[in-house]
Amino acid sequence: MTPYDIQGLKGRRIKDKIFTSMVWLLTFSCLAVVFIILFYIFEKGIGSLNWALFSQNPKPVGETGGGLLNAIVGSLMVVTIGAIIAIPVGVSVGIYLAENRGRKLSDRIALAVDVLQGIPSIVIGIVIYVWIVKPTGKFSSYSGSIALAIMMLPPIIKNTEETLILIPTTLKEASLALGASYFRTTMKVMLPAGIGGIFSGCIIGIARIAGEVAPLLFTAFGNPALNFNILKPVDTIPKVIFTYASSPYDDWHRIAWGGSVILVSFIILLNTIIKIFESRWKVQF
Amino acid sequence: MEHLQAEMDALRNELLEMYKLVLSQVERAQTALIDNNLSVVKEIASNEKLVNAKELQIDSRCETILALFTPVAVDLRFILSALKININLERIGDIADNIARMVSHTKPGFDRTLLEKINAKEAFAVSLDMYKNLLQAFEKEDTLLARDILIKDEYIDNITDESVLIAEEYTKGNPDSITQAIPAISIMKMVERIGDHLKNIAEEIIFYAEARVLKHSSPKP
Amino acid sequence: MEGTILRTENLRVSFGDNLVVKGINMEIGEKKVTAFMGPSGCGKTTILRAINRLHELTPEAKVEGKIFLHTENINEMEAMTVRRRVGMVFQRPNPFPTMSIFENVISGFTLNGIKLKSDEKNHIVEDALKKVALWEEVKDHLKKRATSLSGGQQQRLCLARAVAMKPEVILLDEPTSALDPLSTAKIEDLLYELKGNYTLIIVTHNMQQAARISDMTAFFYLGELLEYDDTKKVFTNPKNEKTQNYITGRFG
Repeated sequence: MTPYDIQGLKGRRIKDKIFTSMVWLLTFSCLAVVFIILFYIFEKGIGSLNWALFSQNPKPVGETGGGLLNAIVGSLMVVTIGAIIAIPVGVSVGIYLAENRGRKLSDRIALAVDVLQGIPSIVIGIVIYVWIVKPTGKFSSYSGSIALAIMMLPPIIKNTEETLILIPTTLKEASLALGASYFRTTMKVMLPAGIGGIFSGCIIGIARIAGEVAPLLFTAFGNPALNFNILKPVDTIPKVIFTYASSPYDDWHRIAWGGSVILVSFIILLNTIIKIFESRWKVQF
Repeated sequence: MEHLQAEMDALRNELLEMYKLVLSQVERAQTALIDNNLSVVKEIASNEKLVNAKELQIDSRCETILALFTPVAVDLRFILSALKININLERIGDIADNIARMVSHTKPGFDRTLLEKINAKEAFAVSLDMYKNLLQAFEKEDTLLARDILIKDEYIDNITDESVLIAEEYTKGNPDSITQAIPAISIMKMVERIGDHLKNIAEEIIFYAEARVLKHSSPKP
Repeated sequence: MEGTILRTENLRVSFGDNLVVKGINMEIGEKKVTAFMGPSGCGKTTILRAINRLHELTPEAKVEGKIFLHTENINEMEAMTVRRRVGMVFQRPNPFPTMSIFENVISGFTLNGIKLKSDEKNHIVEDALKKVALWEEVKDHLKKRATSLSGGQQQRLCLARAVAMKPEVILLDEPTSALDPLSTAKIEDLLYELKGNYTLIIVTHNMQQAARISDMTAFFYLGELLEYDDTKKVFTNPKNEKTQNYITGRFG
């Protein structure tokens, strides 16, 4: 070892240790916070998880008991229809952006997507209120779906675009060189190759809007009764949690905690699905 | 590398054909001299053209293989030795042709006693024997056999050296025989040169098969 | 030239303002292997990609002049039709990763929406894989993912995929530059065998490869065709000094 190695070696070792320890500490504290929150929610809400919660509608004010059936159904409706709207649109835009990089239109669309991502959810809700609820005069589940779909677009578009960009051009060329049309190349070669990333994007989008309340306040509004009609208003789990948690009734608080557990479990489930499918559907190039 | 192998096989076959062609020329030269058979002289002359054509063909093929395949190791050694074997064979062919010419110019024919005294028959026999062994050594890549040939060459050298002395003696006794003695000695020298070329070829075979260079060294490897 | 299958007439290709291929006139012989060689940037790959119109993937690319496949002008035909008749194998093996070996070989048909009966498919796949000497290695694993094969095998698979379409010409863009020497040798043997039945045009950086397998060699430099002759002549006695400098490694 030359003198240049020994010089300051002790100091560097100490710095290294400090840095490593800090990283560990911060990571641990973040994880600790997450676990504490989850633990607390489950502790509070696990007691409320009974059959009644899933099978009954809310009872009128003052009566004890009741459940979240209408909210669960409502959430499923709003999210599913929102996804049905958002996924085809989002994936198509993502494909366009991936295929037309460098074009002016692509740059403008990318900018629009970024802006969209930054718009507060309540604002989106108000816009849909003005566009759809006011003219039709009704709150409805489908207007809520539309609001949620708009919120889902940025993650779906971005993920689709990024996934497709990572696919080597040579794959597209291989397909075109066989005489395939551009459409077939996209549908049968590019999308299947990127299905992992695109699917993740969709799930991320869903996870994002599953717990939203603000955009639904003026669109889906709320409905104490069980409703399967998309033209009518519905309740959703987050909305009910909001209403019940800010009420003075203990019983309602209990149901709110139960709803929280259901919602958090759903989000955890979605994220787990993403992780599983990402490794299962990983395509090697 | 099937393509390269096909070319190498073709080269090998062409070399074998060259060997056999030149062998038959030497055999004809022997017939012309020992049996005093002049009809073969014309055959030798026309075959000489074939020999030359074959030499060009082999050279061209070697050039093609070198240019197109950049051979290495044993393949490269084979081609390098093929080029030299080719030249040596062609020279042997030339010598056979020259011997034939000399025989046809010496009328009415060589004195039998002289030929016997200088051991022309034996010299030819040994060289043909060497030649046939060489052919076998090439076909089988038998380097032991090739080394044998290096030793036999010494034997021919001895015969031809002696033949000069014998011829000298003979002409002292028969001064008229000098017109025959001189070409006879030339022919013996030519047979010696055939032996030399065969020795060169044997060295090339050993080079390519064993990657050992035996040129310019003493015969005991 | 007798038996010409492809002919270019003053072929020029430019990318924006940059003229990369400067007026090429050449004839490619049918059922022969023609090698395109030259230093980087000489335009050989550009010309190759102009033949099956893949240059159209680059928006700034412009092709002028004519390319004839037999008697038809390639640029006036439907691009997809051209590409069905002129196959291509790329530098990096690119089998479709979501498809099995079987599906990859037949992909030319499925991607073109051509419906085939089951035994027709089996026949085509077996035939193509045999032609590229891959059948014995994969016949029991046809349903496996194509990406489970080694690099050399994948490249042979890509060749099978092209061959299955029975193209009139196969273009190969440095097909072995991403492979190890053993796989390279296997593929060269393959190409040598295929040449009796297919017309092959190979772009290669590897001069020895061009020497080993091609019948005709074209030497390009800065977008121009400097020499185009029998491979044997080019490598034993080239007419152009630049050609000689290039193949002897004395360039630049």
